[in-house]
Amino acid sequence: MKNLHTAIGLLVSVMSFGAIAADDNVQIKPPAAGSVSQQQGLLAWSRIFDVASHPRCANCHTGPSDRPMWSGPSYGKTRVHGMNIQAGKSRIGAETILCSTCHTNKSEDWDKANTVNHAAPRVAMSWQLAPEDAFWFGRTTQQICEQLRNPETNGNRDALEIAEHLNHDLILHWAWAPGGNREPAPYSLQEHVNDILAWGVAGTPCPED
Amino acid sequence: MKVSHMEITVNDQTYSVDVEPEMPLLWVLRDELGITGPKYGCGIAQCGACTVHVNGYAVRSCQLAVGDLGSSKVSTIEGLGTPDSLHVVQESWIEHQVAQCGYCQSGQIMQAASLLSTNPNPSDDQIDAAMSGNLCRCGTYPRIKAAVKSAAKKLQGS
Repeated sequence: MKNLHTAIGLLVSVMSFGAIAADDNVQIKPPAAGSVSQQQGLLAWSRIFDVASHPRCANCHTGPSDRPMWSGPSYGKTRVHGMNIQAGKSRIGAETILCSTCHTNKSEDWDKANTVNHAAPRVAMSWQLAPEDAFWFGRTTQQICEQLRNPETNGNRDALEIAEHLNHDLILHWAWAPGGNREPAPYSLQEHVNDILAWGVAGTPCPED
Repeated sequence: MKVSHMEITVNDQTYSVDVEPEMPLLWVLRDELGITGPKYGCGIAQCGACTVHVNGYAVRSCQLAVGDLGSSKVSTIEGLGTPDSLHVVQESWIEHQVAQCGYCQSGQIMQAASLLSTNPNPSDDQIDAAMSGNLCRCGTYPRIKAAVKSAAKKLQGS
């Protein structure tokens, strides 16, 4: 097991041969403190939930399960990712088969990479499942809201840092440009970032508060 | 997309190629370099026949643009072992006479070698998970699994 953990550590450092950079088109401009009411914050949250619960996002936020999900026009109703894929504790499949075996790293400027139906989608960073704490698949709006506002389960981030995370983590950008016949996440990345910022300024309210 | 001149390292040899950066690595290997161990099966990462190693880890070469390789090193079945010094997975494959038609076997072997490089003592379930993306129309799966387990035992020294 020690050998496996050592190999996984080495793997994470070696496999990232694609560049990671921020999307220059996304602006991180939080509203002024006190300018967003709780009601407006809850409206922003409802749109955030639309995104978080959408298959382009939730299918890889499977929590304790290390099985990514598939859904969309190609698959009918949602089902477990084919090929017996298990992302493991590493969340990158290091224990069995790496996500990046098929979801290879692509150049940022190669916009035609995801145009082929049924081919594995790709981004300019290592494909992976979300951390176990970020459990969204099949969860309620209250459950996701509480997870996202709790630093112990959101990667120790405030709302501004969540917005910056959205800007920098290119795998998240894929949700709005999935290619093929995949349905993109609702709204736009910029609108989603704006909602996160507004929700934060409103005090990160949740529906059942 | 314009043709670019680039150098890539395959099986410890450096090659110069003039190709479009978006060309899949599999095409470069087979059509430009004549390295035909990796096979074309589906072209969309659904079968595993084109599996090679990039920096030691399995990658479906039909999905990786050659321009995205950078300085990464590619290994194909031709570079895994030699007739005089087989890779432990190749030894086990011969012992278990895994191949039937053989078309998928280079991909199967490269996938198995990648698994054992990161997880030298995989469980049965882990072997199944790791090898499930490599299809064999002849149905040699029982022998594939036996050979992977045999190779793992050799790596454990028993």
